Amino acid sequence: MRGSVVSNRTLWAFIGPAIFVLAVIGIVPLIYAVYTSLHYFNLTDLGDVEFIWFENYSDVLTSDTFWNAMGRTFALLLIALPIQIAIGLMIALLLHKPGLTFLKTLTRLGLVLPMATTYAVVGLLGQVMFNLKYGVVNQMLGWFGIGSVNWIGDPQNAFVLVVIWDVWQWTPFCALILLAGLTTVPDEIEEAARLETKSWWTVLRHIQIPYLVPGLVAIMILRTADTLKLFDMVFTMTRGGPGNATEFISLLIQRTGFRAFDQGVASAQAVVLLAITVILSQIYIKIFYREGP
Amino acid sequence: MRYGLTSALALSTAMTAVVPALAQEETGGSDWSLAEAAKPYEGTTVDVVFLLRPGYEAAKQMLGEFEDETGIEINVTDLPYENALGEQVRDFVAQGDLDIALIDLVWIGNFAQNDWIVPVSEIEEQFPEIMDPDLDMDDFFPLVLDAFGTWDDTVYGLPFDNYSGLLFYNRCMLEEAGFDGPPETWQAVMDEYGPALTGDGKYAYALQSKRNETQSADSFARFLWPFGGSFLNDEFRSNLTSEESLAGLNFRQDLMQFMPEGIVAYDHAEAVNALAQGDVAFITEWSSFYSTLASEETSRITDCLGVAPEPEGPNGQKPALGGFSLAVAEQADDDEKAAAWLFIQWITSKENAARYLELGGVPARQSVYEQDGIAEQYPFVPALVESWQEGVPEFRPRFAEWPEISEVVQNYGTQIMLGDISVEEGAERIGTEMEAILEDAGYFDGDKPLIQ
Repeated sequence: MRGSVVSNRTLWAFIGPAIFVLAVIGIVPLIYAVYTSLHYFNLTDLGDVEFIWFENYSDVLTSDTFWNAMGRTFALLLIALPIQIAIGLMIALLLHKPGLTFLKTLTRLGLVLPMATTYAVVGLLGQVMFNLKYGVVNQMLGWFGIGSVNWIGDPQNAFVLVVIWDVWQWTPFCALILLAGLTTVPDEIEEAARLETKSWWTVLRHIQIPYLVPGLVAIMILRTADTLKLFDMVFTMTRGGPGNATEFISLLIQRTGFRAFDQGVASAQAVVLLAITVILSQIYIKIFYREGP
Repeated sequence: MRYGLTSALALSTAMTAVVPALAQEETGGSDWSLAEAAKPYEGTTVDVVFLLRPGYEAAKQMLGEFEDETGIEINVTDLPYENALGEQVRDFVAQGDLDIALIDLVWIGNFAQNDWIVPVSEIEEQFPEIMDPDLDMDDFFPLVLDAFGTWDDTVYGLPFDNYSGLLFYNRCMLEEAGFDGPPETWQAVMDEYGPALTGDGKYAYALQSKRNETQSADSFARFLWPFGGSFLNDEFRSNLTSEESLAGLNFRQDLMQFMPEGIVAYDHAEAVNALAQGDVAFITEWSSFYSTLASEETSRITDCLGVAPEPEGPNGQKPALGGFSLAVAEQADDDEKAAAWLFIQWITSKENAARYLELGGVPARQSVYEQDGIAEQYPFVPALVESWQEGVPEFRPRFAEWPEISEVVQNYGTQIMLGDISVEEGAERIGTEMEAILEDAGYFDGDKPLIQ
């Protein structure tokens, strides 16, 4: 085994810029957020900035508002993510079937559109399309004899609406990741399995799913992080209302940091959120992830 | 805080006399011209935030004239209302580029207490040669100058984009139901107009109540003041559980039977559209929406549109009051400060008021509304002028803590309307959280003066 022929200098030249950019846009702000979270730090009262140890964390961890928002966020995650994975898997399996190449190419292109739409625009579209009186969704429901639904003005319906809209936007992401996973199953293994059984479930369970696990873990980690950060769509559509029905954790942090301008508490909320996200990601990897099928 | 209003009025009146007199003395009276005053500042760029609203579109159409005459460039950043406060605070904290502060009346305490804006008297002292002898502060509606531009007896900003709550109504619907005119009292709305105008998919009234500033300013506060209620008492403790405040909030709750379903999802656009499409008989909205309702492109009721002052409650007519002033930002350098003041003075001047009105803005100059033909050309003017005699400067408290308190009001206010909690419970919770915010801010320790 020969040693590396690439000098350290060359290695640093290649990875140095990436490390520098990551530090500047990711690590430095994170360190600053931790610093801020240990201070009384209000943008409208900068004369009184003061180191207060873990008082902000204590306020956050004992706040009903924080945990209610966190609970709502996890409810959204636990409802929306399984639906996205289930529908995504169905779409991926359909697209994985042989034949209809042109239609499948068109479908794959179509799947990119919801993901490519800006979150805030998705929210604004929702505000118009789900309008009680003038919205196109209620009009379409009317064609089937279903009465108008008060989507945005009713607390339960508003939450359901956020779930529907999140599923609409992110199911294609799951479908495309899972479709990519299906293409990694060696043809000969899949064909041999189909000779052994006619049950699609058996093929899926024992042949395809093992190849999908890395993709599924990626989906779970990314979608969990995205859901915990979900802000733009809800802010433009319901702004957390009615009441606090759609006040998810990111909206609460925004409200604390940029309406009350309490950067200290908002930073503490964000650091707690980051810690929860990291712990969840580790759990996903430990439970689900195995190298190879 | 009536003493605040009185002193501010006294101050503004005094300034009216002093500022132009001083300016005239320094500049030789009628020789003053904008072009001459602006010469030393030619080539200066002034940065300002504008909103996406008719008054700002009007101002934008006028910018070219100012730039041509002065050589000063006005660099406008357009923002939606919801972002304007955060963006400006971040800019001031970071000592950024903004040379002019756009101040909603509920932000002025915040901006003034943090020394982010410069008092007009300091500008006058530092740059006497740029003060227009025809500035005439007394020509601004006193209530508007006090509420939008004044904090703790000091004038900082000149009223620029000015609103009052008005009653917009569909005259044809009212006549069909047998009414000669719009309701003059809230009790009449409840007893007569509501029942007569609600039915067959139509509703008497739409009260925009979405969970944002609309809930706290347009919906919640609107039913406090006319009923004798208020957010705070003289000791800065919650007044929301007083008999009068609860009467107003319970009245709002009862009135919901005459409003469209899902009213807590109605923002300004939805309420205005409901009237414009003929679905509701009347709304209480900002004066600035007149142009939307009077335009055939956006309204089906242009021939039936009527405008009146908001209905009276037991405590009289206390219409919603809102609007923005422009003030020079402390962080600007000297040239930028002077250039910024020249622009503020020019865009809010008596001379430009008629043109600003014609282009869709609403000036706060009394003189323009006294001109012949204005009331006929702009039917909202008489109601607007009447409203600006009756308003309350602290319709929403104007101290720095309002945005945080507003969020609390928005949350519980919508929960009350949805029936999730009772009016009494909601008022209690808002009061408790409001007092906690004020306590943290130091109002009860004497750290901060009780000014709202």
